[in-house]
Amino acid sequence: MRRTAAIVGVGYSGFRSISPDLSYKEMMYEAAAKAYEDAGVDPQRDIESFVSVAEDFNEGTSIFDEYVPDQIGGALKPVHTIPGDGIHGLIAAYMQLLTGAMDIVMVEAHSKASNALTLSDVMAYAMEPIYNRPLGANPHFIAGMEMNRYLHSTGTTEEQCAQVVVKNRGNGFLNPSAAHGARVDLEMVLSSETVFYPLKKLEISSHADGAVVMVLASGEVAEELTSLPIWIRGVGWCNETPSLETRDWEGATYARKSAEMAYGMAGIRHPWQEIDFAEIDDTYAYKELQHMEALNLCRKGEAGHLVQEGATELDGAFPVNPSGGTLGVGHLLDASGLGRALEVVLQLRGEAGERQLGEVETGLAFGWRGVPTTSGAAVVLSV
Amino acid sequence: MSLIERLGTFGDAKVWYDNIPLESEYTVGIAGERFLRAIKDRGVILGTVCPACDLTYVPPSMYCERCFTQLDEWVELPAKGTVYTFTIVTRSLDGQALDEPEILAFVKLPGAHGGLVHRLTTAKPEDVEIGMEVEVVFKPQKEREGSILDIKGFKPT
Repeated sequence: MRRTAAIVGVGYSGFRSISPDLSYKEMMYEAAAKAYEDAGVDPQRDIESFVSVAEDFNEGTSIFDEYVPDQIGGALKPVHTIPGDGIHGLIAAYMQLLTGAMDIVMVEAHSKASNALTLSDVMAYAMEPIYNRPLGANPHFIAGMEMNRYLHSTGTTEEQCAQVVVKNRGNGFLNPSAAHGARVDLEMVLSSETVFYPLKKLEISSHADGAVVMVLASGEVAEELTSLPIWIRGVGWCNETPSLETRDWEGATYARKSAEMAYGMAGIRHPWQEIDFAEIDDTYAYKELQHMEALNLCRKGEAGHLVQEGATELDGAFPVNPSGGTLGVGHLLDASGLGRALEVVLQLRGEAGERQLGEVETGLAFGWRGVPTTSGAAVVLSV
Repeated sequence: MSLIERLGTFGDAKVWYDNIPLESEYTVGIAGERFLRAIKDRGVILGTVCPACDLTYVPPSMYCERCFTQLDEWVELPAKGTVYTFTIVTRSLDGQALDEPEILAFVKLPGAHGGLVHRLTTAKPEDVEIGMEVEVVFKPQKEREGSILDIKGFKPT
């Protein structure tokens, strides 16, 4: 039988559009200190392994993993850093527990986006260098092209995409840790400039600074540490092809396959019925809808109607991004997916304040690595 | 454990500025060399075929990304295709407004699994639509240098 594991502590620092008062190390330290206190563990004594998620170009430092251990209490301990989405890191930590070699492991991801003065160049440097990068186009163009095809193939409307912005920034308004919470109406979103047709300016998430830390423990240890462990029931991740020329432009296959793996592991057959809410990547507004369909929360072309009818609002049948998502909280670079998972934990524990959902027992978090990638990761969590 | 002190004034919020020049060369490889040379010398588009998956890769690849087989069958494809999707770009790389918006499209070539992402030239943004037929516009031969920019873009047929 597979070992069980749970999240037993969470901590975060931020999230804010700028953070001139704290270095990235101090943000990581703050998030880690909160998470360790929450879990009731001492990093030097109790935590057996440390997983950090970071990407050298985002950090502005080569071999960034060298700069990770000290501020998370991991010096002289097993530490490793992976590039990827924060949920990839969560899964890496989870797998260490599954081996049986570890009982308490932590995962960390962060964003100091405001220190990266040329982030758009970093994103452009992610483009395929021989066939795509020579065009010299702002990489958001990929989202514009994908949104166009998604609308074309599903009949989803621009109004339905804009409604995602209204919902998520509104949810962020109720979230004290959201950097970009705001009351906006449909007209404001629709009349914001069309920057990468049909993608509008307000449909692109803005960055935020912050750090997220989670402490994970194996089954029995988790139950000793807390009366409310948040169980990891299923994980899944998938990369489709990186090639713009051969990828699926309509259906986010990486999300579909990530979810199939996670649902299979969790024994979930009817996600809409068996899961109570979801935190889903919404780096661009249309992505929330496309991802909902790929994650099999509804049929193709249905997500736009659901958001329009209010089914994914805080008081709807299936709330999506109660935290405010990436549009409301802010895009946290490599920590974005872990930010989604953080909200699932807070909601399941009943600690989400004004935006707290009613009776929720199971939640889904899904992270995407952003353009130009087709890289996604999913986790199903339950009380 | 926690932070018990914070900066109190903007003047104390110091930063250290640094930058590093990055320069790289990217080997185009066996398939890339053949593909770009065919454009430069002959003004034709080549693809590789995976017989097992019945897929034709453009740009060509030496292996099938689906079944992992090495590919050695090459075909010449028509230098035309259909707009599968497009966008109108209004911002430069660093986010500044462009003087003239640019239309970028993913064009599927007939018979190919893939296609090319490139500019749509001589088309007005309001006239472009998914499904539109377009053809490749090559640079004059003497201006070609063996890069994807030897193609100027696509124009409506």
